[in-house]
Amino acid sequence: MNENLFSSFITPTMMGLPIVILIIMFPTLLFPIPTRLINNRLVSAQQWLAQLILKQMMMMHSPKGRTWALMLISLIMFIGSTNLLGLLPHSFTPTTQLSMNLGMAIPLWAGAVITGFRYKTKASLAHFLPQGTPVPLIPMLVIIETISLFIQPMALAVRLTANITAGHLLMHLIGSAALALISISPTTALITFIILILLTILEFAVALIQAYVFTLLVSLYLHDNT
Amino acid sequence: MPQLDTSTWLVTIIAMILTLFVLIQLKFHKYSYPLSPAPKTFKSTSFPTPWETKWTKIYSPLLLPQQ
Repeated sequence: MNENLFSSFITPTMMGLPIVILIIMFPTLLFPIPTRLINNRLVSAQQWLAQLILKQMMMMHSPKGRTWALMLISLIMFIGSTNLLGLLPHSFTPTTQLSMNLGMAIPLWAGAVITGFRYKTKASLAHFLPQGTPVPLIPMLVIIETISLFIQPMALAVRLTANITAGHLLMHLIGSAALALISISPTTALITFIILILLTILEFAVALIQAYVFTLLVSLYLHDNT
Repeated sequence: MPQLDTSTWLVTIIAMILTLFVLIQLKFHKYSYPLSPAPKTFKSTSFPTPWETKWTKIYSPLLLPQQ
């Protein structure tokens, strides 16, 4: 039963060929490049959405932080579209893979921190000691702040992985429970089915929220360091 | 748990780096947000001479000497 439950999270390979590459690249097909002055509806809607997100996110950054605008909008669109595509039945969601989320979180966090160290060395080192701490507590607090700094990329990656994986597992379990209950007691099956519908609505929200949270936190780390 | 099987990690990470840092950014790089095409009002740098600040009756076409 364990084998069956986690089978949707195995990285897909077809006869030894890693088709996971094609699956990860697929969302890029859903964002056409604007070629005209006035574009079609899909491109115009995506441009409008991108502008909305950019204005919200980049408002709080200094000009130096705003050089990351392309990176952050690509990040939120990539994670959002990947999560939403994963809600289709029998699809593979790349963001359930810890490898991919670590690969996203560590370089982005490291970039923000190293930028901070290069350009505002004193200020970024000062983050390790909050204002107004009593003198005897200083060594312990520096250690705690260092640990909390290094845990940031791990938390980013594991948060995204765990949220999406848990949602998919729950849908899988409740769906198979509803299916099995049909032959035993149709009313219970109906209740379980309604739970499944509510869960799917939640998963849509979670898909978008997780993309937002990831990007927002990267943006926050950037703000601290620019 | 299949996510912890590290044999596939390299492929996944390379595919993700290619997609996120190259492909998707190439798409969003082409988005342009032009300013509104309405013309800007220019402040004129030349000032009208005292006799041009007021429209005087002598310039009315019917008051010009009749040819």
